[in-house]
Amino acid sequence: MSAKPGAATPTYSPKVVGRSRLPIFKDSDLDWSRPDGRGFPQCRPALLQTGAVSSASGSAYAEFGNTKVIVSVFGPRESKKAMTYSDVGRLNCNVSYTTFASPTLGQGTDHKEFSSMLHKALEGVIMMETFPKTTVDVFALVLESGGSDLSVVISCASLALADAGIMMYDLITAVSVSCIGKNLMIDPVTEEEGCEDGSFMMTCMPSRYEVTQLTVTGEWTTPNINEAMQLCLDACSKLGEIMRDCLKQAASASDE
Amino acid sequence: MVGLSIGEQHFVKGGIAQDLRTDGRKRLTYRPIYVETGVIPQANGSARVKIGGTDVIASVKAEIGRPSSLQPDKGKVAVFIDCSPTAEPTFGGRGGEELSSELALALQRCLLGGKSGAGAGINLSSLLIKEGKVCWDLYIDGLVISSDGNLLDALGAAIKAALTNTAIPKVNVSAEVADDEQPEIDISDEEYLQFDTSSVPVIVTLTKVGTHYIVDATAEEESQMSSAVSISVNRVGHICGLTKRGGSGLDPSVILDMISVAKHVTETLMSKLDSEISAAEACEDES
Repeated sequence: MSAKPGAATPTYSPKVVGRSRLPIFKDSDLDWSRPDGRGFPQCRPALLQTGAVSSASGSAYAEFGNTKVIVSVFGPRESKKAMTYSDVGRLNCNVSYTTFASPTLGQGTDHKEFSSMLHKALEGVIMMETFPKTTVDVFALVLESGGSDLSVVISCASLALADAGIMMYDLITAVSVSCIGKNLMIDPVTEEEGCEDGSFMMTCMPSRYEVTQLTVTGEWTTPNINEAMQLCLDACSKLGEIMRDCLKQAASASDE
Repeated sequence: MVGLSIGEQHFVKGGIAQDLRTDGRKRLTYRPIYVETGVIPQANGSARVKIGGTDVIASVKAEIGRPSSLQPDKGKVAVFIDCSPTAEPTFGGRGGEELSSELALALQRCLLGGKSGAGAGINLSSLLIKEGKVCWDLYIDGLVISSDGNLLDALGAAIKAALTNTAIPKVNVSAEVADDEQPEIDISDEEYLQFDTSSVPVIVTLTKVGTHYIVDATAEEESQMSSAVSISVNRVGHICGLTKRGGSGLDPSVILDMISVAKHVTETLMSKLDSEISAAEACEDES
């Protein structure tokens, strides 16, 4: 494990730009207070470690508040499932939940599509032509589901891929924003997600300032979407820096 | 699908850059839309939509069921899409599964809104018969018969038309029973309730080819796309769902621009669809 014990876990809360008109986040008329006492634009502290699984080509462990995810990457290696020749590499993703991940035994049914969403997020950023004829397997396991699960899985997966040495255009980071009433809150927890009016999940490449995946549900007005997009972009770039620091620490620790 | 040669690729991309696509349309013009309702007599509601060469059928079946314990005051809606091998030979067996689940997920996202039900096209509380005991389960099935691009828009339009055509029988809860028993229900054969579909959104897919966006891409234009954003806008002009497809990255300002273009296109598309659906319903009533 590469994180030094006792070091403060960094957080990637975005900066709320001051505006001439009334800001959305007014502390005086809070009709929703966040269960863990955070402000609306405040993210949970992020703990990221690489090298969690020694038998994998690369792996990462992420703890964002109560959401704990471990991702291991195997490859590039031969795949028995691949039937046809392919001169670009293949990516195989799987996201699974442990049975003890959520408070109620047996998780909800809307997690089956997380594997395909992780695949879509990663396929645009991995340079598949660097590993022709082989497959890279990404296995994500959610140990505890505390909200914003898919965003944490995507960020952790890109860290694990970097740890495995798979060539990518950039690290990808994912952040989600929840809309409850007229309040936008970043990095929602499970209770907030359960009663949200809308969710906005964005995956982006921080250095290239490009959005690779965007999923919006619920009813949004255009100003809200603008606001949510600015929050997510800012938080994504800060999370990208935290991920780079984690990788640098791991590299310098292995040099010693 | 037959691949395009280099010359054909340049022709498609160049035409789009000059606002003249291969079939003569402008970038923001839809192909002619043809709607037919009531095509499946056994279903509670059904519709067939043809947009150019894309042909899809949507059917709605309602069955009595129990509400889930997490949301006892709401009915349930499930969306399944099936890509038939008649559209593409590659869809046979398990080939079309990935595309079907992606389309079903995007449609479910647009129709059901946020977790609390805000922004939902279908009001789930209207499907309730007795809280915690009996509710209607709506099964919305989409079948892709012929695929020539823009499947999501066609399926969205077909589901909207099918829901307009849906008639749910009236249910009377006949006996009051103790809390842990199922109440007896009486399903009427004559009285029907029509669905209120004024808040069902339409889906507009904007495909980015080069530096321009087009609406309603054909299959050959889709093969040249760098990315596509499907935006669902409701009558009031609010975004009810957004999905970005395609691996390449997009600048955030491009996405915001796409949203405003989609809102602009939705106005014409919504009114066109409404007139087509009411014409189809009138046609069905006469026959």
